[in-house]
Order: sequence, then structure tokens, then C-alpha cells
Amino acid sequence: MALLEVRDLRTYFKVREGDVRAVDGVSFEVEAGKTLSIVGESGCGKSVTALSIMGLIPKPPARIVSGSIRFDGEELTGLKESELENLRGRELAMIFQDPMTSLNPTLTIGTQITETLSRHLGMSRGEANKRAVELLEEVRIPRAKARLKDYPHRYSGGMRQRVMIAIALSCNPKLLIADEPTTALDVTVQAGILDLLEELRTEHQMAMILITHDMGVVAEAADDVVVMYAGQVVEQAGVLELFDNPEHPYTEALLGALPNLEGEGGREARLASIPGRPPDLLDPPPACRFAPRCPHANLGDYCTVEPPELRELRPGHWVRSAHPASERAAVAV
Amino acid sequence: MAVNPQQEEFRERAVVADTGAPGMSTAGAPVRQTSLWRDAWLRYRANKAAVIAAIFFIALVAYVIIVPFVSPYDPYAVDFSQAYAPVSLKHPLGCDQYGRDLFTRVALGGRVSIGIGFAATIAIMGIGIVYGSISGFIGGRLDNGMMRFLDALYGLPYLPFAIIVTQLFRTVNIWVMIIALTIASWFTAARVVRGQIISLKENDYVRAARAVGARWYRILGRHLLPNTLGVLIVFVFLELPGVILGEAFLSFIGLGINPPKASWGSLAQDGRDVYLAHPSMILIPSIAIAWLILSAFFIADGLRDALDPRTRET
Repeated sequence: MALLEVRDLRTYFKVREGDVRAVDGVSFEVEAGKTLSIVGESGCGKSVTALSIMGLIPKPPARIVSGSIRFDGEELTGLKESELENLRGRELAMIFQDPMTSLNPTLTIGTQITETLSRHLGMSRGEANKRAVELLEEVRIPRAKARLKDYPHRYSGGMRQRVMIAIALSCNPKLLIADEPTTALDVTVQAGILDLLEELRTEHQMAMILITHDMGVVAEAADDVVVMYAGQVVEQAGVLELFDNPEHPYTEALLGALPNLEGEGGREARLASIPGRPPDLLDPPPACRFAPRCPHANLGDYCTVEPPELRELRPGHWVRSAHPASERAAVAV
Repeated sequence: MAVNPQQEEFRERAVVADTGAPGMSTAGAPVRQTSLWRDAWLRYRANKAAVIAAIFFIALVAYVIIVPFVSPYDPYAVDFSQAYAPVSLKHPLGCDQYGRDLFTRVALGGRVSIGIGFAATIAIMGIGIVYGSISGFIGGRLDNGMMRFLDALYGLPYLPFAIIVTQLFRTVNIWVMIIALTIASWFTAARVVRGQIISLKENDYVRAARAVGARWYRILGRHLLPNTLGVLIVFVFLELPGVILGEAFLSFIGLGINPPKASWGSLAQDGRDVYLAHPSMILIPSIAIAWLILSAFFIADGLRDALDPRTRET
């Protein structure tokens, strides 16, 4: 049994015009100790999926309409707020995109780390302080003991993200959700944070959901990849399989949009982009949601009439498209 | 000015910066860390009007506290030989119609006025914080209901409302005045706190705190309310003059503190009958009121600029 099983999750936001289907039937599993990466462009439902798992979606306007989230054998969707609070930070932890705003400016770093320790592990002040120093050392903050008394404004962005990681790891959670942990950081700092996350993940034997829109990050850190588009999973595979044999036209386009310094054209080539915009999730296309932007979909094609199902092309490789790459090739031959 | 223990704590934390050996930075002098409160203090100090206002304010408060202790005159002892005594070395502000020393009586009245002002302001802040944070934190329908209730109370005119409350009690004394003024003017504080809580609770660090399982009282007490402190400090100095003016007005029209007890309002009332012959009797308490209100406003202005530099015009 997987550590986390998300089945047919639907999270809608109520607005005046109706329901925005931010997450619309998402399913995936995370095995203990593995990293699952969720990729997709802005607004595809990556973060809402993560917040739904954490039980942190803003209610109202958002609500989980249907589906199940089983974590370590326990169903999370029906849990009371107080039960979820006991789980959050202890078994499930999350780090957010912007470390500059994720720490309270009026509390010392030490207070913010020990807060979690005394909350979940019932540590005394002295114990918690000691543990906080260890945690800061673990995330490579130099002179950890002295820096515990500092306020966040004395920390740089990368250091703050390290503090966020320290807080997330403080109770040895089984699952860490990292929502674009490096997006707001300098490129030079990004690699360091990713390495640190990977190292600590192995050390603490955690599973991780890594949410990102950066294919480079995926290649570096993930074991499995879920590609999301317009609130749905469009492709799911192991990381090598996905990069070697992308099946969904959207995944192909995403990989094609990566800047390429070598190869033909090299530096002079224009960056590829995907024409069109993601659909309005208030009223998504009736059939395949990618059809309006898909180079392989033709008007009158069955995929513009009937929604394609997620199907397993090869063991462990799932695709939601009427025109996966391997089948296109077969037709062409 | 109220001493803020947190401010002290912040200042003590200002330590020698961590470049090089302790006490030795490259420029030779120890570099002090600037904390938020230290920054605010430096900004406040740069504002001349606010500094002068603070000095005036402290001087006035010191005057009303100290003078009744050291004055040789009994503020209630009638001595007709000194009735309407002019300003002199013996009586720096002259005497009233009963020959009581005004310098002492204005200080005594100031104690009552400022005391009522501070007590009512603290009560207003207390109620405002509780009401506003419940309303803002829980939000939704409860928030809507609580705010509509406030809107209804807002419709009541301030002073008549306070007068009605004082009349519900048989006697009028300092406590009744505090209660009446509090009940008549806590609404704005509640709204201010609610607005702060609503904008603060959208912060990422609140979400981050929730993500590690912090419970609601911890989020409210640790993450939201301390961040409203700056705004609340400013609000105290904006609210204080209004309350003191309300008290003075009620006492002036005879519905507040009554003679022979002194408050600035009742002292002005004493002087009203003879304002042509002895204008100083109404002028002196009026100047005291104006002094306090103006200095409080300038302090509030300076604090606002100091605590929230984004609002400052450059």
C-alpha cells in the first residue's frame, strides 16, 4: 500500500459565475520514501492539489467536492479540523514558494522552530531549543546557536527557505510537500536547496511531493512524475520514461519548451512556446482539455467530442490523450 | 508615554554585528543591529513636531501627577480672602471664586481627566481587540452579523449615547464616566482591529503556521495580534483625545464630574459664569485640554510614520 493515495480528487472554488474546477478528478500515489513530482503551468491545479492534501484550502470559497485522500491508511477528507491539525507538521509537512513572506517578522527564528516542536512533541523549552540548533545545523545555517535569536529580516531568501525546511522536518514527517520550493530563489541558490532537500529526504526516509513548473528540477529530483493540465492528470510515468518517451502532446510541448544550449540552432534558436492559453476552468472544453492547443487534434476528431480517459500505454505509464506519441508514430508508419 | 516592555526587549537584543570579532568591525566602531523597534525609534526621533509633542505631553502628565503631592494648598479648602486672587508667585494660576489655588486644582482635574481618558481608552482597546479579532478571524456570516451590529451602534450619536449610559447609573463618578465613554466609543477600535486581522490572516506565515499544525488561538495570539501592535499603539493616541474631550464636555454641561471634585470640564464650567470678569478661569482648563489633545495628535502622527514607514510622505 502506498503512503499517500489520492483518488479522483475534485476541489472546486465557488465564485459568482459558478464553480471553478481547479482540481478535477486527480489520482496518484506516493510510495514511502519516494519523490513524486507534479508539473504543469501556472493555474493547472498543482498547488490546490497540495493544499487539499494538507487540508489548507481556503473554505469557503474552496471545497473538496469528491474523491478520497488516504494517508498512511487514514482517510483525510472527512477528518475534523482538530485531527488534521494534529497531523499537520507531525506526519505531513509543507514548504511554500516564497520564503520571504513565510516567516513571521515579529518572532525570532528560534521561536518559530520551537513552536512546532513543543506543539507536536511536547518538548520543554530547553529541549526544543537544543533540537532547534541541531535542525539549523542540519540545514547548514552557520553559527546556528547565535542565529536562533535573530529575527527573519536578518536572513537571506535562501537561508529562510532553509529555515522553512528545518521547521518542516522538525517532527520527522512521513511526507513532505514542497510547493515550488525554489521558484522564488536565485538560480545559484536553487541548486543548493534542491540538493539539501534530496539529502535530507534520504536521511529522514521521507516521501516527497515536489511541485514545480521547472522540468530541470523534475529531472534532478523526481522518481515519478505527474503532469497536470487544467486540473487533470494528463500523463504519469517514471522520470526516465517520461523524459525519454513523452506520450502526451502537452508533455512533449513542455519538454520542447526547455531552453537548449547545445544541438542545432543552439543559443541562437528562439525559445519554443505552446500557442494559446490554458482553458477557463469555469467552463472547460467539453472533451480533451488540451484539444484547443493540441497540434494533433483536428476539428471533428473524437477527442474534441468525447473526453479521453487516462489509460496505461505501458506498465506504469499513463496518458490521457487520443493521440499519444507512440500511436501517432504507428499510424505514420 | 506607556512603556512597552516588548520594545525594551527588542532594544536589548540589538547586539554587535557578526562581522569579524565581537566589538570589532572593519570601520572600527561596533556596528549595532537595527531592529524594527529601534528603526521606529530613530524615525520617531527625526520627527521634530512629534518629539516636541512628546515632551509637552510628558510635562503635562508629570505636572498633574506631581503637583497635588507637593502643593501647599488644600484643593478643597475654601478661603474667601483669596477669592479670584490674580496670578502671583504664591498662586501661579490665580485662585477661583472660593479662593482655591488653581495651579493645584487644574493638576487635580488633570488627574481625573487624563485618568478617565487612559482608563477608557484601555477599556476601548480591550473590547475592540476581542470583538474585532473574533469578527475578523472567524469571518463569514458571524463577521457580517457582528459588523452590521456595529453599524447600528454607529448610528447613535456619541455624546447623547454616553449621557444615557451615565443616567442608567444613579450617581456619576469616575467609574461611571469610564464605562459610559467606553460604551459610547469602542466601535472604531473594533473595526480597526478587524481590518488588521483580516489583512494579516492572508499572510503566508499564517498559512505556514497552519501547515505545521498551529491551533487557532496560537495563530491569533502569536501571529496576528502582535503584528497589529504598531497600529494599536497609534490608535491609542488617536482615541485618547476624543475620550478626554468627551469627558470634558460632559463635565462642562454638568452631566459628568461635579464640583467640588475637579476635572478640566468642571473647572471650565466654574469659569463660565465669570468669563468676562475673570477670563483666566475658563481659559486655563481649556488650554490644558487643548495642550493634551494637540500633543496626543502629534504623537500619534509621529508614531504612525515611525511604525509604518510605507505611509510616510517623502
